[in-house]
Amino acid sequence: MNDLLELLVSATASGCVYGLVALGYLLITRPTGIVNFAVGEWAMLAAFGAYVALSRMEMPYPVGMALVLVLMLAIGWLTERLTVRPLVEKGAPPLAPVLSLLGMLVVFRESVSIGFGADPQPVPPALGFGRFEFGPLAGAYQSFFIIAITGLVFTGVWYFFERTLTGKSFEAVAIDRRAAALMGVRLGRVTAASFAVGAAVAGLAGMLVSPNVSAHYMMGMPLAVQGFTALVIGGVGRVEGALLGGLVLALVEQFTVRYAPIPAGLAMGVPLVLLIVFLLVRPTGLLKAREARA
Amino acid sequence: MKSLVRYIVAALVLSGVAFVLGSYQTDVYRKLLLWITLALSYNFLFGICGQVAFSHFAFYGIGAYSVVIFITQLALPLPLAVLATVALCVALALVVAIPATRLAGFYLALATLAFAQLFIVVLNEGGTVTGGTGGLTNYRLPDIFGVAVTGPWYTVAIVLLLLGTFAMLWRLERSWFGRACRAVRDNPDAAVAMGVDARLTKVLAYTITSALAGLAGMVYAFVDNTVNPAIFSQESVFQLLFMVIVGGAGRPAGAIIGATVLYLLPLVLSPIIGHHHALVFGLFMVLVVIFQPRGLIGLWDRFISGRQHRQAQVQLRKAHP
Repeated sequence: MNDLLELLVSATASGCVYGLVALGYLLITRPTGIVNFAVGEWAMLAAFGAYVALSRMEMPYPVGMALVLVLMLAIGWLTERLTVRPLVEKGAPPLAPVLSLLGMLVVFRESVSIGFGADPQPVPPALGFGRFEFGPLAGAYQSFFIIAITGLVFTGVWYFFERTLTGKSFEAVAIDRRAAALMGVRLGRVTAASFAVGAAVAGLAGMLVSPNVSAHYMMGMPLAVQGFTALVIGGVGRVEGALLGGLVLALVEQFTVRYAPIPAGLAMGVPLVLLIVFLLVRPTGLLKAREARA
Repeated sequence: MKSLVRYIVAALVLSGVAFVLGSYQTDVYRKLLLWITLALSYNFLFGICGQVAFSHFAFYGIGAYSVVIFITQLALPLPLAVLATVALCVALALVVAIPATRLAGFYLALATLAFAQLFIVVLNEGGTVTGGTGGLTNYRLPDIFGVAVTGPWYTVAIVLLLLGTFAMLWRLERSWFGRACRAVRDNPDAAVAMGVDARLTKVLAYTITSALAGLAGMVYAFVDNTVNPAIFSQESVFQLLFMVIVGGAGRPAGAIIGATVLYLLPLVLSPIIGHHHALVFGLFMVLVVIFQPRGLIGLWDRFISGRQHRQAQVQLRKAHP
């Protein structure tokens, strides 16, 4: 029983990380229709940012975290400016930005591999190493930290979309770009902001997961695939869907590894099978997007 | 008739090269020919039919692995092993394509990406059948009619594969099927309204190109006489995509140029920048997508049409001084 609960805590924590990556996709896909496979690479960049700020320069955690987030906002904004905006302005086909971002994925990864080498680099956890026990629930400090931060981020994003006018303008762009533009929503600004915040959210995921997996230049691709799987499971249309999908994915993943009588290597295939099944059976995901009201 | 002569000349020239190369150059040359073959079929799938599928390299791997498994473990004679491999590739492609082509746009990319990764997982966990992470080694091509096809003669076989793939896709592109593919790529709704069965077109294009990739994989299996999961990893399919885009998507000549440039580039660059040629690839890709969406072949077209334009002007001036 204790074993189960402990697993539940660690699975919830990784589910939160997947959920954040999924949110990184969603924030960009919703208003622009662009699927940005480079979100995993953004998470990797933030993990290295955290390594430099926290391990090398030994900044206090909140300062380092804030710095990394600011850096990620800037990187997301720059990525949009340099590789997406020119294409959108030229009226290129919708596939073009996806391809240029795929190119950026390689650029990010190789730059880091040149700058930091191929060895994994340590990143300290937020509250130190240690175990926290809360009645029958027990787990690493970092797991609880991840859960708490993710809760805050999702609440914030949900509040933004549901309760503020700016958030509604984002939703309006997602539902009908043209109509939103005619109503005075500035598309360029919405796109730039969604890339900046998407990068920050994905970066947060990378920073939170890095104490467990170490910052490594190849860490991006697995995160990108898991994040997308989470998004497909939860549904691309809703913010809550990203978190729900992440949690379902992580629970299935960790419980098969722990309890199913199949070799650990094959268990790695389980999320992929889940992704395929969801794509085929329920491509809208568990939660449906909101349609435009007539 | 004229085109047949052209193909024979091309076959002779490309094969002739094989007989003057040293062993290292032969290796580079064979792999270049295989990359071009793969790029040609991927160009049909991505460039002409507009399907963003990440499973092409997985089918290359399926072809390579299955032919080896059929020959060494099931002791099938070579012709039967080849037929069985093609049948397997077609069957798997149909299994992927029939449900996956229902999915629009990026969902197809994801389903095929998941399929490709699943393939790697199966390879790693396949025990003695796939040889796990080490893959399969210690096998060689059985004699064909009592003749051991080795050295430059095997390169000739690769040349024939390349030309066969090229000829088949060239014919296909100019048939009703090629037009249906383009129509489905550019505007599926309009294509359906014109009487094109969009789903059937997509499934057929996916199956044909995947089977061609499997065929190339079979030939590849006896180039290095070893197959392992690392060869068929995700990186390679990105490289294939980059080749087609940098060369110019939708044009066979573009696929050939893209594959040649991107395959040879690391060999040229590695003395200068070591193993960081992937960074150059990424930058190249971004720049091409933004500034030259029609690829290197687009640059060539512009050069040609510019020259024709100038010549026409010169003639015009001569006629009306």
